[in-house]
Amino acid sequence: PICPNGAVNCQISTSDLFDRAVKLSHYIHSLSSEMFNEFDEQYAQGRGFIMKSIDTCHTSSLNTPEDKEQAQQIHHDDLLNLVLRVLRSWNDPLGHIVTEVQGIREAPDTILWKAVEIEEQTKRLLEGMEKIVGRFHPGDLGNEVYSLWSGPPEKQITDENSRLYAFYHLLHCLRRDSHKIDNYLKLLKCTLMHGSNC
Amino acid sequence: MDGESPPGKPDNIKCRSPEKETFSCWWEPGSDGGLPTNYSLLYKTEGKNSYSECPDYKTSGPNSCYFDKKHTSIWTMYTIIVNATNELGTTTSDPQFVDVAYIVELRPPLNVTLSIIDDPPHLLVKWSPPSKADVKSGWVTVEYEVRFKSKKAQEWETLDAGKQRQLRVFSLNPSENYIVQVRCKSDHGFWSMWSPESYIQIPDNFPRKD
Repeated sequence: PICPNGAVNCQISTSDLFDRAVKLSHYIHSLSSEMFNEFDEQYAQGRGFIMKSIDTCHTSSLNTPEDKEQAQQIHHDDLLNLVLRVLRSWNDPLGHIVTEVQGIREAPDTILWKAVEIEEQTKRLLEGMEKIVGRFHPGDLGNEVYSLWSGPPEKQITDENSRLYAFYHLLHCLRRDSHKIDNYLKLLKCTLMHGSNC
Repeated sequence: MDGESPPGKPDNIKCRSPEKETFSCWWEPGSDGGLPTNYSLLYKTEGKNSYSECPDYKTSGPNSCYFDKKHTSIWTMYTIIVNATNELGTTTSDPQFVDVAYIVELRPPLNVTLSIIDDPPHLLVKWSPPSKADVKSGWVTVEYEVRFKSKKAQEWETLDAGKQRQLRVFSLNPSENYIVQVRCKSDHGFWSMWSPESYIQIPDNFPRKD
């Protein structure tokens, strides 16, 4: 239940926090997918970007689970912290995406709007996740500054095509990582809140 | 040799996963060039340079390859090609790029049941999640859609049931026979096929649909 007005020590239940986190992660991934598809349709057709998109994402060093067994074998504390790390590692790139979109010729407002909305909602999700982790391990937020992203690959951006590819690849990684976060949170919610009986 | 040639290019490679744990790919052979032709599917995953061959050509039927759990990674780009080989040469399909996270197409929902409720008068549609999909653990989250129409009607009416496993339908015509179907999709995948048709006769005393 939402805290009634004027309530003093009212605390949102962990289950409600999880519900909100899952709603947000689902929304963020849907937006990321739409933004990627929109950009792909408008800028990537015939450029062979997908062939190159097997380049690794800046978060690939985070060793995230890649199938159900791995995701279920990892302890939920570790999975929660992994979600936090992935979220934090997108802080700078999301800012770059918002800036970069405005420099792309004839980029539709809908892509810019989604980029701004994703950046905003990801911050909210990160705050929510920090609350959730705080419930399980008060005082252990591991607030280390996380910057796996070394900024846009300046050296590789020599022309319009390479610049568009760098942006395409970032959107590809955002779609992928937002899907991972969404999936892990749904798994965690079922495990922790419903005893794996969703 | 008259009329004989290297095989045509295989195409229309299509890949689907029924539960985000395994997946299959199918292809359409090109012309066989008038000679006995063999097909092989090769794949490589992100970060790997060399191709591997399909682990199982049988489980998913003709012109197919099945990747079991051991050969399936989610959030990983697979590059897939199909070679057609006969006596006169080999022809390779265009590469297909697949991330299993985005090819999930669930089986239809199961056990669709229809019941007439008297007070207030309405139709209650219930169903079970699709087979294979692990909904309990949260690995797969499913949303549903219900469609219904009177046997006499042309157009279906479709309702979004979200994640629920039942739906109450109020706008029905008394004494008519209705067809009802349900389908589902994993939260970011393809819609399943519709469930088999279920039928119900609406009682005469139902309030007329406005």
